Amino acid sequence: MGADVTHLKAILTVKLKMDDRKPLTMGRQQPNKKKKIKYASTVAFILSFFVGFMYIFPLVVFEDPYLKLFGLYTMLTVLLTFGLVTDFSNVLVDTRDKLIIFPKPVSDRTIFLSRVLHIFIYFFRSVFPMSLMAWIVWGILYGWKGALWFPIPLFFLTLISLFFVMGCYSLLLKITKPEKFKDVIGYFQIFFSILVFTTYYMVMPQMRNQEVFQQFDIKTIAWIKYTPTYWLASCWYWVQPKAAALTGTGWLSILAVLTPFIMLWVTVKFFAPSFIRKLSAIDGVEVEAPKKRVKQEGKSKLYISLANMFNRSNASKAGFSIAWLQTSRSRAFKMRVYPGFAYVFVYFFYLFLNTNVAFADLFEKMSQTRSHLFLLYMTSFILLNAVSNMNMTEQYKAAWIYYTSPLESPGRIMGGAFKAMWIKYYLPFVIVVTGFVLYVWGIGALIDVVLATANVTTYVLILMYLGNRHLPFSMPEQMKTKAGKAVLKMLFAIIFMGCMGLAHYAIYFMWLKVLLTFISIALLWTIWDGYINTSWKQLKIAEDAY
Amino acid sequence: MEPIISISNLTKQYGDKTVLNNINLDVYPGQIIGYIGPNGAGKSTTVKVLTGVIQDYTGEIIVAGKNLRDSLMDVKRMIGYIPELAELYDLLTPREYLNFTGTLYGMEASLIEERMVKMLDSFGLSENIDQRMDSFSKGMRQKVLLASGLLHNPSIVILDEPLSGLDANAVILVKELLQRLKQEGKTIFYCSHMMDVVEKVSDTIVLIDKGTIIANGSFAELRAGSGESLEQIFSKLTMADNLLEKAGSLASAMTDNTNTQQL
Repeated sequence: MGADVTHLKAILTVKLKMDDRKPLTMGRQQPNKKKKIKYASTVAFILSFFVGFMYIFPLVVFEDPYLKLFGLYTMLTVLLTFGLVTDFSNVLVDTRDKLIIFPKPVSDRTIFLSRVLHIFIYFFRSVFPMSLMAWIVWGILYGWKGALWFPIPLFFLTLISLFFVMGCYSLLLKITKPEKFKDVIGYFQIFFSILVFTTYYMVMPQMRNQEVFQQFDIKTIAWIKYTPTYWLASCWYWVQPKAAALTGTGWLSILAVLTPFIMLWVTVKFFAPSFIRKLSAIDGVEVEAPKKRVKQEGKSKLYISLANMFNRSNASKAGFSIAWLQTSRSRAFKMRVYPGFAYVFVYFFYLFLNTNVAFADLFEKMSQTRSHLFLLYMTSFILLNAVSNMNMTEQYKAAWIYYTSPLESPGRIMGGAFKAMWIKYYLPFVIVVTGFVLYVWGIGALIDVVLATANVTTYVLILMYLGNRHLPFSMPEQMKTKAGKAVLKMLFAIIFMGCMGLAHYAIYFMWLKVLLTFISIALLWTIWDGYINTSWKQLKIAEDAY
Repeated sequence: MEPIISISNLTKQYGDKTVLNNINLDVYPGQIIGYIGPNGAGKSTTVKVLTGVIQDYTGEIIVAGKNLRDSLMDVKRMIGYIPELAELYDLLTPREYLNFTGTLYGMEASLIEERMVKMLDSFGLSENIDQRMDSFSKGMRQKVLLASGLLHNPSIVILDEPLSGLDANAVILVKELLQRLKQEGKTIFYCSHMMDVVEKVSDTIVLIDKGTIIANGSFAELRAGSGESLEQIFSKLTMADNLLEKAGSLASAMTDNTNTQQL
């Protein structure tokens, strides 16, 4: 394919060595100066193995072996594609090579192929442990022949997913400007994660009905013959031809073998040169010509007006502004936080669509329950997600400015940033949710809205006060081993929030609700005072514990 | 005349490693101090102590009659710092970034706006004032950092490699700016590797190596009639081995290997 094997080997060796030495980030560029994790691959293997338990599901519920495999491969393909889009975009569009490899006499095809292979090796490393449980189950069901056969289609599956995503990226590169490419990828990733989440919750209610699966006849969905995952499943024809219910299954298995190679040839032949060329243009230092006219002095923007309205000290105004602006523009922040907004709504509607009530009667039915509390407490996820992500950035070194400025205490900055997140992300949700709650449950639910909002704000602030006292955009992004801890912390935080919601659910007396609202606000006031008076010493303790 | 910065017995250790070893230095108002030294000599650590980033040091630092340890905020207000490597929040526009930094120094919005527009105009960035800095070149970022360090009109300006990434015209502009700031009575603490610039702009040159000051005086005093350039003085004082010999062995490393063909 026109690639230089020596170059390819050299590039891959270095890339894989670097992967093993950097924090467990699945190819994401995350700086961490303190610790080096050498055996990231082993840890990834163990993690993937446990994730693998869910892939047994289609193998157990379906009767037809081809359908079992079709289910398994579809699940794997969706998740692999998702993983590729979220975790490997950085490897695929890594522009650091521009200074290191591009100036050397290495051909475009070699660079392109080195990236493909790099991702493939990394990916196969995680596909293998992920499907290990399914492999064992398959071996138990179909004996040693089945066990021997199992990894072959997986190999093709990985390649097909890989080339599918690369094809999409190449197409994106063709239709977008190189400098906008990373933004487009960012939005693509957000959209894709919402899509996967929504699909999952739309399919979940169906999954509870096991009988449907067991009586499922593959002949009623003969169209699956046209899907690549069925082609992969049809490789089972090599072992058990008689079990094939659909005609032409044997021929389709040949397609499973050929497709990845055809895709490889097409991408390397047609996409590689333009891909590398376009890639060189990403992150270019070419400054765009200014499009807009320079703004007139004194013409205030919304964030400035809000910063002045809600903050008295200069430090908190600065904290408010930086948090507001950075969160609007940081791709990493949007990637982590924005999908969560959609999750809240999707999850809420999933719960109601699952009740088998006609849409016309839905609001009527809702108003008879007290589920508005669920919705009110669920919005805490928005605030929690926004404030806990506003401290991390790849540009954490730019935070030197806080330390050289004459700030008596960093707490004011942190307070301003917290307010910005509350107003920018939480308040609009609360307004929308309040409108919805008052429409369905009536004015009587207003006290619930007030109590829940006070509780959520207090609770999130307590969490920040105890475990996340940092200046906005001043901390390096966490490596995955630590990120796991963060996810766990988040999970516990949400569970505790759920308990709080349940306690609220149990309260029927109006006077008690009013009393609790006052207590909650008083608590909020006290914690807030502590938070905005955080000293440099306390900040240092929090940074050391990070 | 009273020194504006007086450093006595400054020592800083990281574990067992002594990064600054008993530094004693007086800087007078209106002086340009060229602070030079090889990599890892302790230049940046000195700057970090002076700017209040590092606070666990031993020794005493008096700035304009105030003890750095006791009046940290007052001292920070007097200092304008321009770091090397152009580290800034580049998702912001110069206007937003300078508004942010000016606010941290407690400046009024109108004053920030007025000074920022003038400064960016002088740096030739007035058209880029509302453009995000992520598409800026290193030199453009450095100019924004220079503006941010001078925005609050500090009496002491600390510059860490301020010319890195700047084009020839911008270098001339900054050199001229240093002279103007000096005329206004500002004190400039200038860290750099660019010996020719240090030689030309500095009133006093301080040479630091392995955490210790090994030379301190005007350029004329340092060369003491020898006719050497600052570069030669620097290498003589800081390099034990012969540099020419090293350059020779580097060049021969490419030709000694018989298997390597010339491309």
